[in-house]
Amino acid sequence: MDAIIASGLRKAYGNVRAVDGLDLRVEAGQVFGMLGPNGAGKTTTVEILVGLRDRDSGNVSVLGYDPGRQGREVKWRIGVQLQSYGLYPRLTVREVVRLFASFYRNTLPVDEVIERVGLTAKANTIVKALSGGQAQRLAVALAMVNDADLIFLDEPTTGLDPQARRGLWDVIRNMKDRGKTVFLTTHYMDEAERLCDTVAVVDHGKVIALDSPSRLISEHFQEQAVEFSNSISNDREKFQSLPGVSRAQFDGEKATLYTKDVTRTIAALMELAQRDGIPIDDVIVRRATLEDVFLKLTGRRIRE
Amino acid sequence: MMTFWQLVTANAKDIVRDRMSLFWFLIFPVLFILLFGTIFSGGGTPSYDVGIACSTDGPLARAISAGLRAVPAFKVHTGTEVEELAALKKGGRSVVIKVPESLPTAALVGAAPGGAAKIYVYYDKTQQVTSQVLLPVVRQVLDEIERGITGAPRIFDVVDQPVQHARLKDIDYLLPGILAMALMQLGLFGSLRAVSLREQKILKSLGATPLPRSLLLAAEVVVRMIMALVQTCAIVVIGHLVFDVNIIGSWLEVFGIVLLGAVTFVSMGYMLVSFAKTEESGQGIIQVVQFPMMFLSGIFFPIDFMPSFLRSIINAMPLTYLGDLLRQVMVGAPPAFSIYTDLLVLACWAVATLILAVKFWRWE
Repeated sequence: MDAIIASGLRKAYGNVRAVDGLDLRVEAGQVFGMLGPNGAGKTTTVEILVGLRDRDSGNVSVLGYDPGRQGREVKWRIGVQLQSYGLYPRLTVREVVRLFASFYRNTLPVDEVIERVGLTAKANTIVKALSGGQAQRLAVALAMVNDADLIFLDEPTTGLDPQARRGLWDVIRNMKDRGKTVFLTTHYMDEAERLCDTVAVVDHGKVIALDSPSRLISEHFQEQAVEFSNSISNDREKFQSLPGVSRAQFDGEKATLYTKDVTRTIAALMELAQRDGIPIDDVIVRRATLEDVFLKLTGRRIRE
Repeated sequence: MMTFWQLVTANAKDIVRDRMSLFWFLIFPVLFILLFGTIFSGGGTPSYDVGIACSTDGPLARAISAGLRAVPAFKVHTGTEVEELAALKKGGRSVVIKVPESLPTAALVGAAPGGAAKIYVYYDKTQQVTSQVLLPVVRQVLDEIERGITGAPRIFDVVDQPVQHARLKDIDYLLPGILAMALMQLGLFGSLRAVSLREQKILKSLGATPLPRSLLLAAEVVVRMIMALVQTCAIVVIGHLVFDVNIIGSWLEVFGIVLLGAVTFVSMGYMLVSFAKTEESGQGIIQVVQFPMMFLSGIFFPIDFMPSFLRSIINAMPLTYLGDLLRQVMVGAPPAFSIYTDLLVLACWAVATLILAVKFWRWE
């Protein structure tokens, strides 16, 4: 069963086409990730799906309802964490969660929700006094307080320190274990790779690839990546023609060679560097990631 | 219903925990009452310094002096012409009366037309109000003395008969006006909260929940009404305890009017802020509207003091009617308009501004 179906979704703000013919399909029970750079149309898409914003055109179904026309029906059945949100500044964490709980029919116990996002110690602190990361976790708690089958999280880990990010990943995995569908947006490719069953790579308001992270990678790369930085040589031909290299990407000072034969490529690279006196730093050999997929598809890195 | 009370308490907590808003809505009006009450409760009746300039202490001077001393508001000083006129110029006297040493005989027998003794009354031309009040009183006192001397029969006898509003003190007039002003500020400035909720994206966050907007709005308004009643109690209690202001209207009437006034200014406030993008611009718009109302609508100065070209503006302002209505009902002050006119005008303002607010307000 599909929790969300969208086809030909479009939304423009003046001349800016934020969402430009977007298609996606989210199976129930999975963690679905929208991966893309800032400005790719992720937030606009989320706001249309949760019934906060009207679309210009296209068909949308969320849990069988049209969020444009049946906004309240949709809102009863989902939990939402918005990327930019605001809460009564002088209410405590517990008061805010309790207030939001009063908006829904089937809710989780207030203290349990607070505990799951790790804010128990801050339950009596007013919103204004929370740190950015704590406020972010409170927003996720508000998305969980409705015991809904479908939860939207718009950039839930942006601005969090690495430890808090991992903590939130556990919270999201826990949602999946409870059989919930999670729709999240992110511009962290590692987050998408580790958390999501399906990833939609978006750019300029369109889905440019849609599959599981591992299949997306293997579909585009059988190679491994040799990455290094190089500040003076712009003689890209030299690198591209090294033995074993099937493709090369250059992004500022950073060069990435994709090769099926790492040993030969590295050896040849070192030889080239020594012979021509090209300084080479930060050499890393790794398998390809979603970042590489994005780079290959768009020619740009996801985070500028 | 559960949702509604959660919203009401959430709103109330958010407002009460903001010390600034608490100051403006509760402490400020009370301070106003205390301040103005103290200023205007200085004995209730003003007193004037009256000087009698006379070179000798003759019977005429004594008679005039005694006559003037009988007026409770007068403080009578006697001295030479030079002394008294100097005091007048320094502002130490409101009026100086120059009494001749003796009366010409011709005047006494009334035989010489135009031969009446001249009594000069000096006053400061710049103190118009004072001189307008004083001169007729002085003239009347002198008439009395003259009648005593000539023995002319009294045709009219004026008997003082105090009626109800004679017992009103200045603070009695002021208190309902200050309450009206406080309600106006609560309604107008309170509406800024809607803009700040929008600016802080709280409206957006709530918009992603199934909470209907009507419920959200209702909770905001209900909290404002509760605050209006709390404000009323604070002002009335302080006025009664400190300045002995007695409320003759019933609590039910007063609360009813307070709620109507609060509703009127809340919807007027929502209308004004619906033209504002930010809280600051909203504040500016409200200041422009509330400032003239505060000073023109008869709260601090009676409307009669206002120049006539302002009348049409004054007669259009809702605060004029709320102040008048509260003064009539709370302390029994004489009406400027009938109670029904007051009620009708307020209700019209409430409905008209509400319609405009709904038309122009943007949720995003």
